[in-house]
Amino acid sequence: MYKVLRLFLTVLLFGIVTGCGDQRILEKLGLIQTTSYDIAPGSDEDESKQKLLISVTIPRPDSGTGTGSGGVNREFLTAIAQTSKGGRVNLSRQTELQLVSGQLRNTLFGLSLAKQGIWEHIDTLVRDPSISPKVKITVVNGNAHDLLAKNYPFHPRTGQYIDRMLEKESHSQVVPSTTLYQFTKDYFDDGIDPIAPMIKEAGDNVKIDGVALFQKDRYIMKIEPKQALIFAMMRTDIKQGDLNVDLSGQNRNNEHVTLSSLVSHRSVHVTPHNGNFRVDINIKVSGSVLEYIGVLDLENDKDRSTIEKLVSEYVQANANEMIAVMQKNRVDSLGLGKNIRSTLHYAQWHKMNWPDTYQRIEVKFHVNVRIKDYGMFTK
Amino acid sequence: MREKLHPFHVGLLVFMVQAGVVSIFLPRMLAQYMGYNGWVSLLLFSAVATFNIFLISVVYRLSDGKSIFQIIEQSLPKVIVFPLYTVLVSVWTLIGCIAAKQYILLFTVFVFPTTPPMYMKFLFDIIAYSLITKGIYNISKAATVFFWMVIWTALLLLFFLKGFEWVNLTPFFFKESSDVIVGGLSIFTAFLGYELVLLLFPYVNSKKGFMSAVYFGNFLTTFIYLAICLTCFGFYSFKQLTRMKFPLIDLLAYIRLPFVERVENIFIALYLVSALMSITMYIWAASETAQSLIPRASKRWITGVLVCGAFAVSWIPDVLSEVELWLKYLGYMASGIAFGLPLLLIAILAINNGGKKLV
Amino acid sequence: MGISNDTREGAAFMTLFRRTNRLPGKDARRDDNRPNDDADVPPSLQHTLDNFKDCMDLVHHAFPEINVNLVYFGHLVGAEELSRDVTIPLTNIRENEVQALLTRNQYKLTTNSKSLIKGILNGEAAIFHNDNVYLMDVYKPEARSIQQSETETVITGPHDSFIETASANLSLIRRRVKSSHLKVIKLEVGEVTKSIVYLLYIEGIANMEYVRELTDRINLIEIDAVHDGNMLIQYIDDFPNSVFPLFSTTERTDTAVSKLVAGRIVGILDGSPSVFSAPSSFFEFMASPDDYYQRWATGTSLRVLRFIALFITLTFTALYVSVTTFHYEMIPEALLLTITESRSKVPFPPIYEALLMEVTIELLREAGARLPTKIGQTIGIVGGIVIGQAAVQAGFTSNILIIAVASSAIASFVIPSYVMSASIRLVRFGLIIMAGILGDLGIALGIAYLVVHLSGLTSLNSSYLTPVSPNNFKDWRDVFIRAPFWALRRRPSQSRSPNLVRNRMKK
Repeated sequence: MYKVLRLFLTVLLFGIVTGCGDQRILEKLGLIQTTSYDIAPGSDEDESKQKLLISVTIPRPDSGTGTGSGGVNREFLTAIAQTSKGGRVNLSRQTELQLVSGQLRNTLFGLSLAKQGIWEHIDTLVRDPSISPKVKITVVNGNAHDLLAKNYPFHPRTGQYIDRMLEKESHSQVVPSTTLYQFTKDYFDDGIDPIAPMIKEAGDNVKIDGVALFQKDRYIMKIEPKQALIFAMMRTDIKQGDLNVDLSGQNRNNEHVTLSSLVSHRSVHVTPHNGNFRVDINIKVSGSVLEYIGVLDLENDKDRSTIEKLVSEYVQANANEMIAVMQKNRVDSLGLGKNIRSTLHYAQWHKMNWPDTYQRIEVKFHVNVRIKDYGMFTK
Repeated sequence: MREKLHPFHVGLLVFMVQAGVVSIFLPRMLAQYMGYNGWVSLLLFSAVATFNIFLISVVYRLSDGKSIFQIIEQSLPKVIVFPLYTVLVSVWTLIGCIAAKQYILLFTVFVFPTTPPMYMKFLFDIIAYSLITKGIYNISKAATVFFWMVIWTALLLLFFLKGFEWVNLTPFFFKESSDVIVGGLSIFTAFLGYELVLLLFPYVNSKKGFMSAVYFGNFLTTFIYLAICLTCFGFYSFKQLTRMKFPLIDLLAYIRLPFVERVENIFIALYLVSALMSITMYIWAASETAQSLIPRASKRWITGVLVCGAFAVSWIPDVLSEVELWLKYLGYMASGIAFGLPLLLIAILAINNGGKKLV
Repeated sequence: MGISNDTREGAAFMTLFRRTNRLPGKDARRDDNRPNDDADVPPSLQHTLDNFKDCMDLVHHAFPEINVNLVYFGHLVGAEELSRDVTIPLTNIRENEVQALLTRNQYKLTTNSKSLIKGILNGEAAIFHNDNVYLMDVYKPEARSIQQSETETVITGPHDSFIETASANLSLIRRRVKSSHLKVIKLEVGEVTKSIVYLLYIEGIANMEYVRELTDRINLIEIDAVHDGNMLIQYIDDFPNSVFPLFSTTERTDTAVSKLVAGRIVGILDGSPSVFSAPSSFFEFMASPDDYYQRWATGTSLRVLRFIALFITLTFTALYVSVTTFHYEMIPEALLLTITESRSKVPFPPIYEALLMEVTIELLREAGARLPTKIGQTIGIVGGIVIGQAAVQAGFTSNILIIAVASSAIASFVIPSYVMSASIRLVRFGLIIMAGILGDLGIALGIAYLVVHLSGLTSLNSSYLTPVSPNNFKDWRDVFIRAPFWALRRRPSQSRSPNLVRNRMKK
């Protein structure tokens, strides 16, 4: 009859008996926010003997020096180890906190490491149940450790600064938001190659430096930041973005257009073509012109359609340029393989060697730009 | 005034027993064993389960609501009945306890890596025991509340509409499948649980609604499984899915709400209730059977012994892979029972009735 | 106490006390007409006076000229009633007219001693004439005036509430239900106090099985005294060991009437303003009359708000403990530093921190309830400042916890029934402890156990969790929401009314 009481006592008893081995009391934890991976300097040339330079940042609310200007309110730890988890053991020797990765937001990979392939490190991350699938993957053009170690005067907490910047930039589609989930998904998919945003150190700031394209898990090439938005349009639908167009490529010197609030829609059509494939990518873009420097008159319907045409050509030219390089480098970052796969039978798909075929396929972009409006003030 | 089970509750009860911890790795199993677009094969498994339920409904029709123990004992000699019951009791008890152990071990992967799992299992079993001793009517009442506690989480799948890509599904069907037979049997165990309605015959009130409720429960299970698996196949790439241990948990981990992140922590804990329902119903079934084996023993006592026995047995396998192995073989046995028992009963009833009412 | 010095009666009490108070069962029906020694004794003045020996508040009036003796308790009778119905008629007549006067039917002839004594105790005047005894009801006790309920207030709607006098309460209900179908059963509880219980039901709407069951259970009560309706229901509900109240009680007349017309049985205990109704379900405790007096959309949002409050009360602090002890990864980035910072100075693990604050809040609440209103306010302010500000500044607790504890305390008071809200606050402690031991799994285990417990409960043999299980979607519109009145066409399924339809209007 006193079941409730009995249950209560059992629970209490067991609570005391079992102790608190698995407790993760918040203030006793070192919540790793950002991790960076590099090849340790002075390492062997032989990949299998190379050591790893691992650094982590841990935001600390109460670091002695306080939050005043110049105050350090993060803990920065570095270790050199054979594997990433091995590095963790090494790192935790340096702090009174229990290092945990449940609040990990971002992982930075140094360029040299990225060139060798990063899957084994990603694998460690994916395996750990405490790590969120939303952890970002970023390539650092240069040395990730140095970028993370540095304190940027206007941005306390470097890790958080980079994280927020990437968040903002991926919102406006300048860089893709590559998470563990996304990377793993593309890594395992045979019809697409992963991509990741790229950043680099620039004096007192960190700067977005385009998009890193991988072949499987190896970094191959990058997209320049000024082409990043067009790359995004080629890759997916975008919901918001700003495109700055220098029309000099279209033989119109000193003419500039800025399209804001860009919305684009992409559709892919695959047609088998003489044992090869022809891929038509239609990109419909609409946006408003808030800045135009040049001779044409925005009020004029004809002039406006000229601008639309010019911008379309610009986008198309850039797209063609990029796809050519990508095909040369055999990186299918647009996921064209997925689209082609959808039109094939299983045997056909597996008979053909996709990376080889990829180099041969014909990719055509059809860009259609529409100017929705042109501001609230006339000349 | 003995309450009878309403069809609606039977339906929910069946759903709660069927849907269990398996749904956490079901998408991976489908990808692994059934290959590309393995989720489609769920329909096939569901059809098999539906056929099995049809067999049960034949038994129900022929039995006129009599308890199956009555039917068996009337026609079969004690020599056969005794071992049959013993097998039923042991398989059902073991399934109950090992499924619970699996859930607990699963939880320790995520949150309590060093807490002794048997301690959590102990608390779990206390709850199961106190539910079983309350009788089937109260079990079904609890099942209904648990159902509402769990079912709304299916709405979370809407969260993945955005990341869902049809192109991930690929046009390939069942390519790169492996171990279709063995894997298929394992997947089929995800549907098990409906066979326990055989024991519900004396407890239901309306003749016509009962079996349709069981079909409904099975349909609901199929629907939820399909929704989960389709989402996984469309959200993850195929090869990735075959490598994920717990796709459903990964899926939940992806959800980020303004006030809380990593909601999988809450939801794995919440899915405790469906694991609880499975263990409860299986041990309940075992104790019903044991009761007919030893009619003089008190129910409370039988349940106590069974729960303690189950607890003791679940000490033995102590790593997840061992538990999965046990569960695989127990699943085969339970599938055997699910088909064998109704067939046996149909045979008995057909002989008794001279085949008159069979059609 | 001077109630009775009759040794035989006293001995009877003692045996009753020794009997265990058991759960009422069907077959254990007590024979109500237990033979009593007094029943056989013919009523006489001497016997009555012996019975009331040492009761100095007894008034004994003699009218020797007409051979009449008058016995009553002065403080139980109304002076006006007494003089109008008894004293004045008796003083103005001669002896030969007395017999004629007393045969008028308002004077009850009494033939046994027990009912005579009971009558006097119930405020009747006993008139002894020759060998006959007549009782005249002149009962008019001192009573509190009808005021607004302090525990169940509403903003709009009737403001009168029950008082301690059962007759006044009955009248409040009768005034609202002008129907001969409103039936009243009079029962008695308390071997010493002989408190009267009235069971009210509406014939044709209430299920008679419930009426019988309830009558049986009340008849089974063998205890010296029952002081309050909330106490009475603990003797008659199905699971006396449960944390939850199984019958709902109210001080509000409109609530009681609404329960009556919903087909439930209402019980009034004389001497208590708390009126109970049965059967009840868990969800009934979440409803307030306000829901019906406001527009349905407002009413619905209030209902939803209350269920949110229930959730907050049960889980908020537990979640705080669970998250800060085990599941740090659940904290969103934006809150992470705030929470870490506020926790960093706290010297205790979250579980102790939380229990400390919860106990403090309960102390404040209890102190506020015990003290006069004005001092209670001071306690509130002092408590608020000391606990809220100083504890955080001293690094005793984190301010996030203060928010969690305070919001769950506030949420607990949103639950309209005080008894239920107290039960839920108690359950919350269990969940907090479970959260401290096993985190989210602990909370889930706790809630699972709670559900298992709740699904085992019954109220008058009907499921406590109606209408969720057994499921009745039609009832949901008057449980989780408050649908417009045109949609509320049926009485709740729990009352198993023979007359289910309550609203026959066309849209």
